[in-house]
Amino acid sequence: MKMTKIYEGAHQWVMFGRDENKPDNIIDSNQYIVRTANKCLLLEPGGTELFAPMMAAVLHHAPVEQITDLFASHQDPDVISSLGLWDQALSNAKLHAPALWEGYIRHFGCESVEYVPIPDNGETIKIESVELQIIPAHYLHSPCGFHVYDPVAKILMCGSVGSAFEAPNSPVFVERFDVHVEKMRYYHQRMMPSNQAKRAWIDKVRNLDIDILAPQHGRMFKGDDVKRFLDWFDSLQVGTGI
Amino acid sequence: MIMNSQTKSQFIAVASITSELSAVMVVAKEISLAAANAKAIAFRAGDKAKGFQPITDFINELAKETIELVTNINVYALLLYRLTVNEYRRTAAYNRFEQAGKLATGARYADSMQEPIAHARTIMQDCQRQFKRDVTQLLGQLEAVMHHARAARVIAANSRIEASQAGEYLQSLQAVAESVDKAAHTIHDNVQRCRIALSIYRNS
Repeated sequence: MKMTKIYEGAHQWVMFGRDENKPDNIIDSNQYIVRTANKCLLLEPGGTELFAPMMAAVLHHAPVEQITDLFASHQDPDVISSLGLWDQALSNAKLHAPALWEGYIRHFGCESVEYVPIPDNGETIKIESVELQIIPAHYLHSPCGFHVYDPVAKILMCGSVGSAFEAPNSPVFVERFDVHVEKMRYYHQRMMPSNQAKRAWIDKVRNLDIDILAPQHGRMFKGDDVKRFLDWFDSLQVGTGI
Repeated sequence: MIMNSQTKSQFIAVASITSELSAVMVVAKEISLAAANAKAIAFRAGDKAKGFQPITDFINELAKETIELVTNINVYALLLYRLTVNEYRRTAAYNRFEQAGKLATGARYADSMQEPIAHARTIMQDCQRQFKRDVTQLLGQLEAVMHHARAARVIAANSRIEASQAGEYLQSLQAVAESVDKAAHTIHDNVQRCRIALSIYRNS
């Protein structure tokens, strides 16, 4: 599992992905942690198959007992089907996930982890002194989804938005946006069902101060590529993939 | 999570109990019906089937008890199925934790995985022990059904003797005896299959 520190300040952000031992027939996904002095928030914990390498990777940054919070942007198995395993490994953790999907996500196994439902209009999660804004991203692609914005690190974990599928050893950041566009086009046309939802999200996100856009699949966007992505996404007609 | 062949067999064994027992339930209800039928014939036959009348009550009682036993066993089998699912999940978690522990070798906080691994191992072993205990108890309950089936066969043999003295009712009462015997046979065979499937998991 590749680990890349993407923010280092009073707290840290680490991106995990590109697992070399991942079975070929499951899609690659990015996981993130927000690490504070005594706590660790795991964003998009991933599928069951990724649990062991992901846990092992997190142990480079935090002990098990300090993994206190999990976040799932939506209900898909590549996002959170490992929940049943985290549930048995963590003795005192909360899962922040959409209220709409609670009854669905619990199918993955959620007995000891406390499910904290996120209302449709979002909320704020506090991990020690770090305040993270939970931004609604409904119909992008899930009918109920959320992204995580850290105003201090200036990182937006943008779930499925900005996703692309890459070869296992690809770099973690976009290097040539014009080349990367073709890796994203079909996914966004096919997976994102609503131009209206897309426009509302872009309007909201343009008001945020963002250094890094961190999607759940593929490469992250930084610097000018953030604006390039928003412009490209704005001009793309979605819901047209078939 | 890939299921190993022993776990698969365990799932199949537990699921097959419900299937076999639903057939036993149908047959037990048939015995109950045969008893009611026999009672009516014996009543019509009067003195000619005097010896048959108490047998019909006995057959009916036996059928009722079998139905009650099977109903209880079915509830128990469902609990055993849930325990099997739980054991599977616990074992899978333990294996993943061990895998994570190995992959984390050299990680700064690798040692913190030891407690979840030890805890998962304890729970998994508790589940395995509980499964064996419950299987042993279920086998005992299945033995009680077998006992009823054997008793039903003895009754069927007695019924044939009594039927032979029932004059023109001989054929009807013999048919009742035959149906009880056949039903008892079916119950015996089905329950025996359950016992064979489960016996490898019992407490030694």
